[in-house]
Amino acid sequence: MRTGHYKETYGELIALSDSNVVWSWVAALGVFVVILPFLVGNYTLSLAISILIAIVGAIGLNLLTGTTGLISIGQSGFLAIGAYANALLATDYGWPVWASLPAAGIVAGAISLLVGIPSLRLKGLYLAITTLAFSFIVNYVILYAEPITHGPNGIFLNDTKVFGLDLSTDRGLYYFVLGVTVLVTLASLNILRSRIGRAWLAIRDHDIAARVMGIDLVRYKLLAFAVSSFFVGIAGGLMSLQIRFINIDVFGFLLSIEALAIIILGGFGSIAGTIMGAVFLTLLPEAIRISLGLFVDPGSSAYTKYVYEIRGIAYGIVIVVFLRFKPDGLIGLWRDVRKYFANWPLAY
Amino acid sequence: MKQTLRMTLLALGAALVLPGMAAAEPGVTDTEIRIGDVNIMTGPASFIGQAVAVGSKVAAAEINAAGGINGRKIVIKTEDDGYVPSRSFQALKKLLEVDDIFALNGTSGTANVLAMMPLITKANLPTVVTTAPNELVYTPVRPSVFTIGASYEASFYAQLKYIHENLAPKGAVYGLIRQDDDFGVAVENGYARAIKEFGLKDGIRLRYKKGQADFAAEAVQMKAAGVQVLANGAIIAQAANVLKETRKLGMDLQVADVWSEIMPPSAKLLVPAGYSYLIGDYISSMSDPAAVKFMAKAKPYMTDADVAAVNRYTFITYAGLKVLAKAMEACGKDLTRACTVDNLRKIKNFDTEGLTAPVSFDNERQLGGTAIKVYQINLADQTFKTLTDYKEY
Amino acid sequence: MEYFLFLVSSGLVMGATYGLVGMGFAIIYKATGIVNFAQGELLMLTAYIAFSIATSLSLSLIPLMIITIPIAMVIGIVLERVFIRPMLGEPLFSIVMVTIGLAVILRGVTIMIWGPDPHEFPTGLSSEVVHIGPVPFYQVQLYGLGTLAVLTAAAWAFFRFTRLGIAMRAVAANEGAAMLMGIEVSRIHMIAWAFAAAVAALAGILFASMFKLGPTIWFEGLRSFPAVILGGLDSVLGAALGGLIVGLIENLAQGYLGQGLREIAGFVVIVVILMLRPYGLFGAREIERV
Repeated sequence: MRTGHYKETYGELIALSDSNVVWSWVAALGVFVVILPFLVGNYTLSLAISILIAIVGAIGLNLLTGTTGLISIGQSGFLAIGAYANALLATDYGWPVWASLPAAGIVAGAISLLVGIPSLRLKGLYLAITTLAFSFIVNYVILYAEPITHGPNGIFLNDTKVFGLDLSTDRGLYYFVLGVTVLVTLASLNILRSRIGRAWLAIRDHDIAARVMGIDLVRYKLLAFAVSSFFVGIAGGLMSLQIRFINIDVFGFLLSIEALAIIILGGFGSIAGTIMGAVFLTLLPEAIRISLGLFVDPGSSAYTKYVYEIRGIAYGIVIVVFLRFKPDGLIGLWRDVRKYFANWPLAY
Repeated sequence: MKQTLRMTLLALGAALVLPGMAAAEPGVTDTEIRIGDVNIMTGPASFIGQAVAVGSKVAAAEINAAGGINGRKIVIKTEDDGYVPSRSFQALKKLLEVDDIFALNGTSGTANVLAMMPLITKANLPTVVTTAPNELVYTPVRPSVFTIGASYEASFYAQLKYIHENLAPKGAVYGLIRQDDDFGVAVENGYARAIKEFGLKDGIRLRYKKGQADFAAEAVQMKAAGVQVLANGAIIAQAANVLKETRKLGMDLQVADVWSEIMPPSAKLLVPAGYSYLIGDYISSMSDPAAVKFMAKAKPYMTDADVAAVNRYTFITYAGLKVLAKAMEACGKDLTRACTVDNLRKIKNFDTEGLTAPVSFDNERQLGGTAIKVYQINLADQTFKTLTDYKEY
Repeated sequence: MEYFLFLVSSGLVMGATYGLVGMGFAIIYKATGIVNFAQGELLMLTAYIAFSIATSLSLSLIPLMIITIPIAMVIGIVLERVFIRPMLGEPLFSIVMVTIGLAVILRGVTIMIWGPDPHEFPTGLSSEVVHIGPVPFYQVQLYGLGTLAVLTAAAWAFFRFTRLGIAMRAVAANEGAAMLMGIEVSRIHMIAWAFAAAVAALAGILFASMFKLGPTIWFEGLRSFPAVILGGLDSVLGAALGGLIVGLIENLAQGYLGQGLREIAGFVVIVVILMLRPYGLFGAREIERV
């Protein structure tokens, strides 16, 4: 237990952390992340970019589902909206990336209000199913609104440069996505510590009691949808920058499941947990592939036939096992470990 | 065991340590050439990928048995993409960075190839596209991409032409059902071309969403429009369900189908509906003499599971790798990607042992083997009779 | 008129499958309060098992259904014991996510065991077309309608008159009170899963006979959601009726409005219904004002 720590200014009160140890570890992480492109090859770098994009998307979902308790399994729809908005603005209208990306987020946020309105009346599972229905409707609209969205043909993104970074190279894209991710993380950390974040927590715990305490449910629920979808829309835009060709096949229902799995794995309502969950789940298929490769000869037909199915099953097993044994997620696991070491050799 | 350990360490090392590749040509050593294969190995469409894998394997085995290419053996590196475009992108990235391939033979579906294009053009990767002959692939033409195959548009145009000239009654009403994606658009283009050129009656054009199973309402709409010739742009189980519904309503139809219905497991599903449907394909059917000869020649290289997986995708992948091998061979000892691409451009009338029409890439779109044969199914034994020989449409 | 009748008949047939799947959802929700997102995958797994039985024993439809039902019940019980029972006491959403994880696992296992090829489902029924008035039906489609009718009547009688049915309704209304009344709640949960699996097996067999067996039929689970939402998640009879209505809406929308609207007609229905009557047509209404 720490004693003698006094907060003497308002700045100290709202700082993210007052511990020098924490800040030095964060600095170490920052250094590692910045020099990563010089340490690893392009393939690993593209994995890292996928992880960062997953973090952005999952943080968005976490704000909605983890913090506010509004269950949403229609994230693939918002990812699609963000990706298409970014791609269309960049290719058809020639907007630069630093304008089209936030615009993609804003478009997704605005459309999410459409889904937010049913949420005012619906609870729990009914809301989840409505968001699911919504993601299917989004897919349909994108496919049939051909004059605007190119319909089934998909969109190719051209090579772009932003802030001197060439986004068609892995390194340039990595730094750009890293910057966006850091901004998004800081933004959500701050929102969660503000009155808005506290209102969301109250809504999650018991929305009627929150209303009784004077929290305007309409305003805060819609705000949750809007902010969450803004971030998810940006994640979608980043996806379009990474894979450079998008069409409706990319945004299947399974993406929503993966996003949910990340926040369940990481722990509801925790940003650090989301980051850990995103890293874990994005690297899981690679880890399985490598570990399978140790036991089974990669050249055999049995391997290639089953490796993907096995990866899918492993995914499901991870979800089930974590929900059963560690409902608090990875962040809960981390806290337990830390407490154990902090209190050792005492029990508590 | 030692082999897998070595390969794993190599993969880990390459992935983590080497940022830039050595100056030597990627994928080529003194003893081997690595050819990549991005394939649909898993998921509902994996009958395509498994067949492609067999084609690659047989072609590589035959070439290696004959001494390889200027003394170098071909090694095939396969990555699964499960038919998801974003996974194709990652798969090709891995093949390029970690497995270090020289050229690309298997390319999965249309959207998948398009997703991989940025990587292909950047690396000037010699690529032979055999399983996705869609216009979007060669328009605009990419310098290192060579496509074999007629488009869905040409396939349907050929079938409708034959039906119009030989099978349908005068003034028959034509109808179309197609999927609501780029493949469906290509089918509709072929249908529209036939309608316009022959002045046919366009009864109805229907779209359906991929994954739909129940076509009862669509069949009712077709019956109400009086359709007598159907361009069936649905595939496999869905094609079977469409025909099942029209049979239920007692509709007598001439049917033009997608070439995926030439594959035995698919034909088996369509036969109960009782329509002697047509197929327009740029590849020979399983009962063609060329295919029979292929099976006999390839037998020593195939396992029983391989034989069961063989279908048109096997033939075309085999042909693709053979063409690629010819271009690589012409480079001699100094094998580079640029040289291979140049030689591919010079390919003229390459004989694919009858599995397709002769392939020529010496045109602007780097597109070959586009001649189509029209077949009709024999319902009794599920073989396909050739109605017209290879012809350009 | 004939056009309309054709659409209605095909709508009812499709609606029967939706209704059967929806009943499975409703049974589990009614007894345990969770939505089982793995219902579609259960349907697929039991259909494939039935396929293996049918091809090795060459059974026709009714005997096949009778043999598959106990197997499906065992599967349902095993799944409930292994995956759901340990989650007792966890928040509802966690259990629902477990069913989502379960769905992914079942899907992978099914494709691994049976492979990805589509198959014709052997039912031993002739493919002769039966005419009722001007409207044609395949025999298996009539069986589908008949199964739905029989199951609906059986469900109604079960929940109304049998002790087990009333016990289930008690558990659905208030688990604590039911336990106080001496009802063994964990056993009821197990039985609910067994019944839902049995219904899924019937739905799977009928669906595969009508539309071919393939590794994508798990999607029927999701497509039946509109039916069960319309009827009310905790109303088994509502699910059956909701299925028929959604089937009709889909086919009529496609027939009269066209343009692939069939696919999203159901999902639009969900959104509209949930806005107007959040608990469905027959669901139990929980009064809450905010």
